[in-house]
Amino acid sequence: MERPSKDGELPAVIDITTSEKVVELLNQAALIPTDEKLTVLKQVQELIINKDPSLLDNFLDEIIAFQTDRSMEVRKFVIGFIEEACKRDNELLLRLIANLNLLLKDDSVNVVKKAILSLTQLYKVALQWLVRSRSVSEMQEACWDLVSQMTGDVLNMLDSENDGVRTHAIKFTESLIVTLSPRTPESDVPKRQEGDISLDKVPRDHPYIRYDALCDEGKAALDKLLKFMVHPAISSINLTTALGSLATIARQRPMFMSEVVQAYETLHANLPPTLAKSQVSSVRKNLKLHLVSVLKHPCSLEFQVQIGTLLLDLGMPQSEISRNTPPPREQRKRPR
Amino acid sequence: MPSQPLRVAVVCSSNQNRSMEAHNILSKRGFDVRSFGTGSHVKLPGPSPDKPNVYDFKTTYEQMYNDLVRKDKELYTQNGILHMLDRNKRIKAKPERFQLCKDKFDLVITCEERVYDQVLEDLNSREQETLQPVHVINVDIQDNHEEATLGAFLICELCQCIQHTDDMENEIDELLQEFEDKSNRPFLHTVCFY
Repeated sequence: MERPSKDGELPAVIDITTSEKVVELLNQAALIPTDEKLTVLKQVQELIINKDPSLLDNFLDEIIAFQTDRSMEVRKFVIGFIEEACKRDNELLLRLIANLNLLLKDDSVNVVKKAILSLTQLYKVALQWLVRSRSVSEMQEACWDLVSQMTGDVLNMLDSENDGVRTHAIKFTESLIVTLSPRTPESDVPKRQEGDISLDKVPRDHPYIRYDALCDEGKAALDKLLKFMVHPAISSINLTTALGSLATIARQRPMFMSEVVQAYETLHANLPPTLAKSQVSSVRKNLKLHLVSVLKHPCSLEFQVQIGTLLLDLGMPQSEISRNTPPPREQRKRPR
Repeated sequence: MPSQPLRVAVVCSSNQNRSMEAHNILSKRGFDVRSFGTGSHVKLPGPSPDKPNVYDFKTTYEQMYNDLVRKDKELYTQNGILHMLDRNKRIKAKPERFQLCKDKFDLVITCEERVYDQVLEDLNSREQETLQPVHVINVDIQDNHEEATLGAFLICELCQCIQHTDDMENEIDELLQEFEDKSNRPFLHTVCFY
């Protein structure tokens, strides 16, 4: 059917130009050194994700082909591209999640780490997309099954031999725990994450996603993180990361505050013997910082004595502890 | 060696002496480096310890230079402050406050514990977005010209070693331990996330 010329002509001209430009850039990218290739590929990404997303589908395969590039920076670019493309068009998860899975198993740890960061974001995107779907196709089911499998793979990376991979796996676990538990009125939700999916938004009668199974998965992830933290040979950076993750979890999901405070207490009493003296100072400083951030949360009321004792032990003056303690709230009505 | 250069920030209190000395050396060695202060104001020594010259972070090094020339050219020439400001204005126009910078780094090196605490407090108060890690290391440096020079060389050596690791995050712990032994000073080290 012919479109009216007023609507059709001008965009058509722009479409051709952008499309031609993308073809030209992709041809260039195949032949040039890594640094220039990255610049060119970023231009392509800008053109087909932000400027004219209707082109995304056309050029997807050409961009994804770079996932086997010899340069890890180019492979990292492809991961970033997959993340942006799927955020722009959730349906693309069906085609791209398998590519992300391959990159999650890359030989370069830097590529693996980037893949973990992107999966952290795309896990939420995928869950939200499925929860919104009224009926779930077989393709969607397969896609979610792969996401779940990748989730398990990353949780297992808490045991990786590589310190940086473990650090990234901890952050993934933190995000998973927050997503797979319900947001409550007491949750301290960062502005940027206000629109994020969480367990309370998952309908209990969803045709494919099981609320109870997700809830159990979230709790199992928390258990895994807590167990990880008490490993006697944990590295100082992993410990620091886990301490911060627990503070985030306690503030965003105060229902877990008891477990978090307990973990802080245990750690304070049993610092890993493998830490060097300066690492002990760094860890204690971090513990103090995160204890204060938990203390400042209105739900810390029943843990204030425990937290206060720990902070005193860590050398914080009582006056400073009091300054960071929220005033007692009006007695909340509790169900009897 | 990573194909991308490390993005480094060096941070002291006023972004005048220690961080600028390190900024100068690191940029000459080809690092992608920026420098900052964490103080609420920029402080320079004055005629007596209780009368420092205080500026805000909007004041350029040039303006400070001219102000001090006007106040007491001899004193500020003698104590090296004019020389330092002259060096600084060749590197950048004015001091920058760390807490106001939204750019991302791989490595932040602080020059004293109080500054390290302020950097940690700031990074932890920001909302997490990409979860990209940033390593923060404190190297204690006394705030005088000689120590700033020695400290800058130490920071530079540290950055060079980190830049040359195959896998920075996997090797940084061990590397710092070696550096502690070699330089006989303790380093505080942590990781934060953007």
